[in-house]
Amino acid sequence: MLRLVAQRVLALVPLLLIVSVLTFSFTSLLPSDPVDLILGESGTQEQHDMLRKRMGLDQPVQVRYAAWLGKAVRGDLGTSFFSSVSVTDAVLQRLPVTLSLTAFSALIAIVVGVAAGVAAALKPQSLADRLATLGATFGQAVPNFWFGLILVAIFAVGLRWFPATGFVRFSESPSDWLRSVTLPSIALGLSASAAIARQVRSAMVGVLQQDYIRAARAQGLSRSRVILRHALTNAMVPVVAVLSFQITVLLGGALVVEQVFSINGLGTLAIGAVRQQDIPMLQGLVLVMVALVVAVQLITDIIYGLLNPKARPS
Amino acid sequence: MLIVAFAATVLGVLFLLAVLADWVSPYDPLQQDLMSALQWPSSAHWLGTDDLGRDVLSRLIYGCRIAVIATAEATAIALVIGVPIGLFIGYRGGWWDWIVMRVVEALVSIPGIMVAIVIIAILGPGLHRAMIALGILFSTSFLRLTRGVVLAEREEVYVRSARVVGASETRILLRHIFPNIAPPLIVQTTLTVGAVLLAEAGLSFIGLGIQPPQASWGTMLNTAAAFMDLNWFLAIPPGVAIILTVLSVNLLGDVLRDSIGRGIAAAAPPPASAPRVAPLLARAPSDSPQSSRSDEMLRIEALDIVIAMPGATEIPVITDVSLAIAKGETLGLVGESGSGKTLTGLAILGLLGPVLRMTHGSIRLNGRAIHDLDQKALEAVRGSEVAMVFQDPTTSLNPAFTVGSQIAEVLRIKNGLSAEDARRRTVQLIDRVGIPRAAERAQAYPHELSGGMAQRIAIARALSCNPSLLIADEPTTALDVTVQQEILDLFRDLQDEFGMAMMFVTHDLAVAADVCNRIAVMYAGEVVETAEVDALFADPRHPYTRGLLSALPQGSSRNPPLPIIPGSVPRPGTWPTGCRFQNRCDRRVEACEARIPLVGAERMVRCVHYQNARLKAVLS
Ligand code: SF4
Repeated sequence: MLRLVAQRVLALVPLLLIVSVLTFSFTSLLPSDPVDLILGESGTQEQHDMLRKRMGLDQPVQVRYAAWLGKAVRGDLGTSFFSSVSVTDAVLQRLPVTLSLTAFSALIAIVVGVAAGVAAALKPQSLADRLATLGATFGQAVPNFWFGLILVAIFAVGLRWFPATGFVRFSESPSDWLRSVTLPSIALGLSASAAIARQVRSAMVGVLQQDYIRAARAQGLSRSRVILRHALTNAMVPVVAVLSFQITVLLGGALVVEQVFSINGLGTLAIGAVRQQDIPMLQGLVLVMVALVVAVQLITDIIYGLLNPKARPS
Repeated sequence: MLIVAFAATVLGVLFLLAVLADWVSPYDPLQQDLMSALQWPSSAHWLGTDDLGRDVLSRLIYGCRIAVIATAEATAIALVIGVPIGLFIGYRGGWWDWIVMRVVEALVSIPGIMVAIVIIAILGPGLHRAMIALGILFSTSFLRLTRGVVLAEREEVYVRSARVVGASETRILLRHIFPNIAPPLIVQTTLTVGAVLLAEAGLSFIGLGIQPPQASWGTMLNTAAAFMDLNWFLAIPPGVAIILTVLSVNLLGDVLRDSIGRGIAAAAPPPASAPRVAPLLARAPSDSPQSSRSDEMLRIEALDIVIAMPGATEIPVITDVSLAIAKGETLGLVGESGSGKTLTGLAILGLLGPVLRMTHGSIRLNGRAIHDLDQKALEAVRGSEVAMVFQDPTTSLNPAFTVGSQIAEVLRIKNGLSAEDARRRTVQLIDRVGIPRAAERAQAYPHELSGGMAQRIAIARALSCNPSLLIADEPTTALDVTVQQEILDLFRDLQDEFGMAMMFVTHDLAVAADVCNRIAVMYAGEVVETAEVDALFADPRHPYTRGLLSALPQGSSRNPPLPIIPGSVPRPGTWPTGCRFQNRCDRRVEACEARIPLVGAERMVRCVHYQNARLKAVLS
């Protein structure tokens, strides 16, 4: 197992490098001159030149990249062009918000998706199966932010069960945290749970026809045990293989859903950075998100290895 | 078909509205009227008005136009970027391929919306720029798809042969590869259209896509979000429009994918429609007399099993099967595939599945009827009193767990052993079935074991609770010829040691002769002959048994039998009335068309030529 982890971590290094090159060169393509942005029309030519020098913008691009990367690996992602706050600080401050939203919605999506998928697979063509399939088809067509709006209208504005906006940190009050992330997470998790339900269903239908399921039943193990332990473990293998992709989608979706609930997470930061063409902030955001995705990939790879002995290096 | 009609209608209306927006929309979508802002639906404004008093219906209709333009643009850009690059790197390979694929990998590891946000940061917001961003984002899926197809096709012989003839590279690419890419590309395009619609709405919603005052569904939702507490209805029309459109596109995509998939599968013969049922003749209960023995472990009496599909006539698959096995005895159930041997075994375990149903007869184990037990009681019988070893050991062991844990699980659940005891007993069992270094092998996963080894494990698991009956379903068929004999020897040894009754299902008379005391020959869902092994081999009576015997190669009995009997077992539902073997029988007479009972005592035969004793009795 250690070997698997080491292998995967090593494989991720080039990916992170390429992403950093990509983000750096893409953001260097930004049309506006940051010096102009900061000083506006007002500054004199000398002021412009001085600032340019101080920001290292007079250096060739590869030098700037090397400098940026050197700092980035030490956790310094530069300084925002506008608020002069450290990008690392700004991102780290919002990270728990977006992260808890993504994680909670992933949990909901997995639980709902697996339950619906299994229920549908147990009796193909039954009412439960048709309902689950219909629900999954619908769920993938509903925009998460719209679903969020509707949830707000019903459960926050109408029934007043949950707050309509805002986010409470887990460290402040776990129960308020739960209340504040429930609606956004449900909104966010809907389409992912639909996708997972479809995958679980088709995988489960296949697994249930396998000999080892019949053999386990022939051995006198109970139906529920055979389904939940013997069948589900195998059915989850293809699902887990694409789970990190689903979670990546959730992370992106969180950026949008945050706006519905006025949650001050990475999404708000990113939208502000685009508006202001805040290059260091955008670079930092992309890099942090990729790091997150990579971490998720690593975790799902390990789970995949646990579920599927054939995938382990021997 | 209903789905296609629904989807096509929705998309048709969408297109019409997009084209005719200038004529059909009741108001100018940009015309403000602050006096009548945030109105609920009325006869003047069917869908109400927004915060600036603009007519929601008109904005929705113009939103159709934006949706069509936006998806067309982004999808076209994605195709134009993705397909040529995919073609190029797929064909060139090498460094080009490596670099582009690493870039693609990096791109897909960033959340899509973030990629779009960065591109919009470079290009600026707005309809066309946002669509370029989405086009670039979604081009990766086309790129990977195209590259995959090219790589597969590149290896195809005809590409190479075209190169030999001297066709230019471009011509090879276009002439040979394009037709193969088209179907998956069409499916991918529909999938992309749905995703683009959702992404565009999301971008416009957060203010980075289409800019106000232009009316798009996403910007309308942006407005709605701000006034949710005053007029929640504002969110409904654009939301429903998005959902209906995406749903229709996705449904069409599903249908397309399925039909393209079917196009590939069409080469395989279509499943035959359910054939007419041969009428079953009423039979006397005494049709198959079986002498009762005192040390009997299993007794099956007049078993009938049918295929019962909802809304279809029941098709019999097993009729009037009666068998008995004594303690320490091995009964061979022999016949070609399709004769119903395995089903008989599964019926004993109550594992017939949802489609098959037992309609008549009884199954008694140790004198106790087990065919009408409820699920729980049946689970208690399985494993503890009857166990089964399946044909293919590599598929009958769960690939996700170690082999040891699969045996230990049974011991813990069925026998209530502690984890530690179960582990110890597991190692003993593995050792008993002849696997060296048992403790170590218990930690192995099924895929790490050879077929013979895995079958020993399966046998160990079946024996773990000391069942009084062991059903072995073709346990050596999937194995190498060299290990077949070892497994057969193991079965014989184990039976001597455990003293259980054994039902040995096989298509191979030679195998049956090796391990069995008695043999029941099955054909088309019924028993046609039973006899002690020696008697059967010395004097086979039923023409089918003779056929099977003469198919055995002389001398070496280990090889698969030669197909001497022409034809194959008729499928259930196509059985002839009377003797079911008559189509393949060389001794057929007119009387064979009547229903033939199984007669005899020590040995029983179901054939007109051996009915004499009974006939005489009836006639006199
Ligand atoms: S009953 Fe007739 S057809 Fe059937 S096996 Fe005997 S001889 Fe052949």
